[in-house]
Amino acid sequence: MMQAIYDRLKDRFQLGALDVRSRKGLAFVDLRREFLRPVLTELRDVEGFTHLILLTAVDWIEDERFQLTYLLNNRQKNLDLGLRLRLDRNLAIGETIHDLWPTAATYQRELREMFGIAFPGSPRVDEEFILEGWTDMPPYRRDFDTLAYSQQTHADREGRETSDPREFMKQILYPKD
Amino acid sequence: MSFKDVLSPFTAWKHVLETPVTIKDPLTREAADRYRGFHKNDIELCIGCSSCEAICQNAAIDMVPVKDPKEGDSGLRPQIDYGRCCWCALCVDICMTGSLTMSNEYIWFDEDPDAFRFIPGVDAKSWDSSEKGYRREGGRRLSGTERVEMREMEPDLRIGNFDEIVAGYDRAEAVLEADRCVECGLCVATCPAHMDIPDYIKTIREGDYEHGLELLYNSNPFSEVCGRVCTHNCETACAARHEGDPIAIRWLKRHITDQVPYDRYVDIVGKPDLAKTGQKIAIIGAGPGGLTAAFDLARMGHAVTVYEEKEKPGGMMRYGIPEYRLPYESLDRDIGVIEAMGVKIKCGVRIGKDISMEKLKADNDAVVLAIGLHLGRSTRVPGSESPDVEKAVELLRRITAGEEVPVPKKVVVIGGGNVAMDIARSMARLQKQRHGEVGITVTALESFDHFLADEEEVVESREEGIEILDSRGPQEVITVKSGKNKGKVKGLRTWRVDSIFDEKGRFNPHYDEGDEMVHDGEMVIEAIGQVSDVSLLGEKLTEALEWNRGRVKIDHDGRTSEPWLWAAGDCVKGPDVINAVADGHRVAQSINQVLVAMREAKA
Repeated sequence: MMQAIYDRLKDRFQLGALDVRSRKGLAFVDLRREFLRPVLTELRDVEGFTHLILLTAVDWIEDERFQLTYLLNNRQKNLDLGLRLRLDRNLAIGETIHDLWPTAATYQRELREMFGIAFPGSPRVDEEFILEGWTDMPPYRRDFDTLAYSQQTHADREGRETSDPREFMKQILYPKD
Repeated sequence: MSFKDVLSPFTAWKHVLETPVTIKDPLTREAADRYRGFHKNDIELCIGCSSCEAICQNAAIDMVPVKDPKEGDSGLRPQIDYGRCCWCALCVDICMTGSLTMSNEYIWFDEDPDAFRFIPGVDAKSWDSSEKGYRREGGRRLSGTERVEMREMEPDLRIGNFDEIVAGYDRAEAVLEADRCVECGLCVATCPAHMDIPDYIKTIREGDYEHGLELLYNSNPFSEVCGRVCTHNCETACAARHEGDPIAIRWLKRHITDQVPYDRYVDIVGKPDLAKTGQKIAIIGAGPGGLTAAFDLARMGHAVTVYEEKEKPGGMMRYGIPEYRLPYESLDRDIGVIEAMGVKIKCGVRIGKDISMEKLKADNDAVVLAIGLHLGRSTRVPGSESPDVEKAVELLRRITAGEEVPVPKKVVVIGGGNVAMDIARSMARLQKQRHGEVGITVTALESFDHFLADEEEVVESREEGIEILDSRGPQEVITVKSGKNKGKVKGLRTWRVDSIFDEKGRFNPHYDEGDEMVHDGEMVIEAIGQVSDVSLLGEKLTEALEWNRGRVKIDHDGRTSEPWLWAAGDCVKGPDVINAVADGHRVAQSINQVLVAMREAKA
């Protein structure tokens, strides 16, 4: 069923290969950003994918890309389809789809805050989402150093002390060597 | 506004008699079954590897001493500061033993903020026995569990020659294997020479092989040798072994030495630019113990001469370990580095005959005895005095030296250790060359459950067509009683072993005499252990020295009861290369301290 939908769309929208490895009824496909809106519209209005389950991102820092994943659901046929789109990490601007699904605005606001991906025109996209008064790099970017941030931001309780296993064993087991 | 809009809010009244979904007392509400609450730690399972501390993104974990460290267990345990913990459970996910888990308990009141810092499993908590909570799912591991397989020459290709069997990792394989290391360092204590194992494995990941080589030779001048034949005790302490294969530390060491061109070795290892001390040290025996001491002492500025009885240096590494495990050129490369430090090696010189101990003592500031274990022990069963009964170490030496050795079609080996495997596999190769087929039976006293030889030696021997029988005790070497072949060996008679040690733990084998076997063979090889040839010491020194169960008695630093004489390696400690290397270092340190004190006393 998924294959038939894919076959109807792939040539017109130059889709990448259909990836069905995850589980039955779930597939992923890569697409180019200029086809995002027409594909989403067609899936929603023609193919019955009326529900946007989620919109999320992955930081492929080594490739200097952000991947956006739009996960759609066709309730009638019980199918899930993920559309994967890659953005230049250094020019992270996505296209807003809040007019297709109003809930997208919330996801886009979250991605703006956590990954620093802009969605111009999306309602309230620049307002704080869950991080209040955040001034650092967006924390879901992989070059964000969580440990360093934590150490700068939170003081240690007094009296904390740690031992390195290697040095501790040396001290006790072979002090003379 | 329609009439319906006005009425619709009142439709909610239809629920008024239903049970409410809200909870009256949220403080006693139990969390979901897999909720991530306060930690639990199985203290006996935990090895204190500190991977939880290393992965914690909030620096919430400290490693604190809880018990005495032992092999493979640092004795440290994680203490968690819940003022910092964000309950992400990365610590549970990385835990190398699966000891660290989380209960689903999350409600706890206390006015003392320090109460929220405790050692799970040590500081008793009400949730310690709780079954619910979060634990890493069965098959999921953050670090790889399977060792990258080592490529080996196929049995039919290797049995007719002495070519090296193990191929070594290529870069991609080595990086994959190195990636599994969590850098806990538990292995360092277990390695007799305390090599910087996590650090040199790291250089593989980073591709900085020259630094890796420097780290290797800092603690082990026989790194190329040990990269091939080390007994790798480190791997038995590896954190990865608890839920998978231990890291192939030995092969990774070899990989580093394979990657650096030999002409770079001496530059990288470096020769300290120190003034010559003018002090002289003589070392008897050019094996791993003696040469390691020589390497260190030369680098400290002393003049070191090593006296070796045999034609070439290396000791058991050359004359004991077969070439298919350790090619001579690898050994020669390590020895070359040692010589480049200024060590003089004089081969073909037997102390006690060519030069007396008295002269060595008189001409040097210190003398090191590192003579190894080169005399094979005999079973002394009837018939073992026959000329067709050989000692394994003696035969191995003759094979290395290129001497002609008798190669009958059928050979029986007595012994179950690595030396027994070495001679069996060496003779198998010679048989294949001479007769086109292998005819070796190994009879071991031990059962396979308590076998002495390494598992891989047993597996590879069998692949090469060698028959290995366990729990067989030798009773008699059967010889031809009459005729022109009178005295020739026909085979070995054995009984089944019921037990090897008596209830007091003494060696006292008990046999089932009803289970007798005769193993045909025209040669019997004894491989049941070795002793030192201490005849070189001479009567006077032998009398003067203190002894301990047939071995020269030494203190922690390897010094004998004679202040000018130290002893190192197999002749005083257990028989393997890495222990001898560790011994060599220890003796060199001790001698240097004494020599420095002597210089200062003179000045």
